[in-house]
Amino acid sequence: MPSKRLFDRIDSIQLRGVTKKYDDRFAINDVSIDIEGGELVIFIGPSGSGKTTTLRMINRLIEPDSGTILINDQDIMELEPVALRRNIGYVIQNIGLFPHMNIAENIGLVAKLESWDEKKIKDRVEYLLDFVSLPSEMFMDRYPHQLSGGQQQRVGLARALMMDPPLLLMDEPFGALDPILRKQLQEEFYQIREKLGKTIIFVTHDIEEAFKLGDRIAIMDDAKLVQIGTAEELIFHPANEMVASIVDTSKKFKHLDTLKIKDLISPLECMYVHDGSLDVESAISSMIEKNIEIAVVSNGSGPLGIVKLIDLLRMDDKESKIIDHVVEIPSFSRNELLSSSLKIMQKDGHSMAFVMTDGKLSGFLFPNDAFSQVIG
Amino acid sequence: MVTLETILSHTADHLVLVVMTLIISICISMPLAFGSLYNKRFGYVVIKFANLAQAVPSFAVVAIVVPLMGIGFYPAVVAILLRALLPIIKNTYIGLSTVDPSMLDYADGIGLNEWQILRYVRLPNAYPAIFAGIKFAFILINSIAILTAYIGSGGLGELIFQGLVAFNNEKILAGAIPAILIAIAFDIIFTRIEKKLTPHYRK
Repeated sequence: MPSKRLFDRIDSIQLRGVTKKYDDRFAINDVSIDIEGGELVIFIGPSGSGKTTTLRMINRLIEPDSGTILINDQDIMELEPVALRRNIGYVIQNIGLFPHMNIAENIGLVAKLESWDEKKIKDRVEYLLDFVSLPSEMFMDRYPHQLSGGQQQRVGLARALMMDPPLLLMDEPFGALDPILRKQLQEEFYQIREKLGKTIIFVTHDIEEAFKLGDRIAIMDDAKLVQIGTAEELIFHPANEMVASIVDTSKKFKHLDTLKIKDLISPLECMYVHDGSLDVESAISSMIEKNIEIAVVSNGSGPLGIVKLIDLLRMDDKESKIIDHVVEIPSFSRNELLSSSLKIMQKDGHSMAFVMTDGKLSGFLFPNDAFSQVIG
Repeated sequence: MVTLETILSHTADHLVLVVMTLIISICISMPLAFGSLYNKRFGYVVIKFANLAQAVPSFAVVAIVVPLMGIGFYPAVVAILLRALLPIIKNTYIGLSTVDPSMLDYADGIGLNEWQILRYVRLPNAYPAIFAGIKFAFILINSIAILTAYIGSGGLGELIFQGLVAFNNEKILAGAIPAILIAIAFDIIFTRIEKKLTPHYRK
C-alpha cells in the first residue's frame, strides 16, 4: 500500500528542547536547532556526543523523552513512522546493502513496496545509477559483494534518492572508506549536491569533511549542542576551548606560510600503481578488486598520470591500453611550499597532484583537502 | 534369502515414516522458531525444551514413548519427532535472528515494517541456516527410524534387527544399504532445492 507523500519540499526543520536519556545518562540534553530548507548541516563531535542520536531522531528511529521535532511546522510524532521514513532518504556508514538482492533490487526495494510499476522502477534505477557515476548496464545485475567499497557507497546514495525525498539523513557516509577514496567521494558528492537541491543533515567526525561540505556546522559535545555556525564563524568566534580545539585554528594558522607539501601529503600505496601496457578491461578488474577509484599509470621508470575507474568503465574500447587514456597531472617535490603549488594547481584546474621524493612518486596532494586543512 | 519384494516393501514403509515425520517436524518447528523471534520468553522456553529433548539419548527417547503411548507406527513418529525438532528450530531461529544489525537498522530506517523486514531481509538471509537444519534433522530422522523398528514402526530397521538376531548378514545389508541410499538421495535433492531458492550471492 503506497504511503502518503508527506512533504514535497522542506521549508524548515526545528528541534525544540529535545532530550533523550538512557538510564541516568543523557544521550541528548535539551538540544534546539533551526535548519532551513536546502541547507546542508553537519553534526560533528566526539563519539558519544549525541550527533548520531540527533540524526536518528529526525526519522524517529529514536524517539525523544521530551521536546519536539517539527518538519515544516508539523510535529513528527503525529506522523506515521513508516510514512515518515519513506519520505526521508537515509545513508549510513555500513551502507547496509542487502547481500541477497542485486543492485537494482536494492535500490528499487521501497519503490516496489510502494507499488510502483516495474518499468517506472527500472527507469528510475537506471537514472540514479548513472547519476552516481555507475554505468547502469554494468551494475544493475551485480550483487553487493561484487562491488568495491566506494561503489557500494554510491549505490547507498542512489538507494536513498530512489523516492526523491526532499530530506537526506547521512550518518558518516564516507567514514568506512580509505582516505583517498573518501576524498574522491567527497569531491563527487560536493559536485552533485547542487544538482540534488535537497536539505541534508550529515554526521561526521572528520572536521575537514565538515568544512568541505557543510553550509553550517553544528558542534556537539557531551549530549549538548555547543555551537552552530558557518566554518568562518567557528574559526573566528569559537564558543569555547572545545570548539577551538576541534576546528584547530590556532595551530595551523601560524604555519600557513611555512607549510610544505610534505605536511599535507596523502601517502601512496603501491596498489595504486598500474603499468601503462595494461588493457582497460584488466585495469578495471584490478581496481575493483583493490577497491580503488584512481590508478596511477606508470611506464616502469616513473608515473605518467592517472586514470579514474569511472572513466574506464565508460570506455567503449575495453581492449585499448590504459596508457592511451592517461590524464596528466602536475607533480611537485615534497619540500616545495604548499601555497605556491596550490596556486599552480588552481590556475590549471587540477584536482590532484603527484608528490615526488628523490624523483620517485611518494604520495598525492589534494588541493581542496589541503586547503580545508589549512583554513581548518 | 531376502527377496527384492521384501526390500522394496520395507523401503516404502521406511520412506513413509521418515518423510511424514520430517514434514510434521517442519510444520511444528517453523512456527515455534518464528514465534521465538518476536517473544523472548517464549523463545527461551522453546529452546530450553528442544535442548532437553536433544540431550536424551536416542534409544532412551524411543523407550520412553512406549509406557506413554504403547508401540506401533504413531508412537514411533512421536519418538523421532522429539529428536528432529531441535535442529530445525535452532537453525531457523539462529538464521532469522543473526542478521547483520546494520542491515536491520537500515531496513527500519527506510520504512520497512516488521513483516517486510521478515520477508525481505531476515528470511532470505536465513535460508542457508534453515536448510542446514532441515538436512541435519533428516539425517537424525533417518537413523532413529531404524531404531524405532524396535517398537513396531516397521521399515528398514525391522530387516536390520531380524538380521542381527539371526546373524544373517544378508538381511542386515538389505536393511542398511537402502537406508544409506535414502540419506544420500535426500541430501542431493535438498541441496538442489536450496540452490534454487537462494540466489547465488555467496561465492
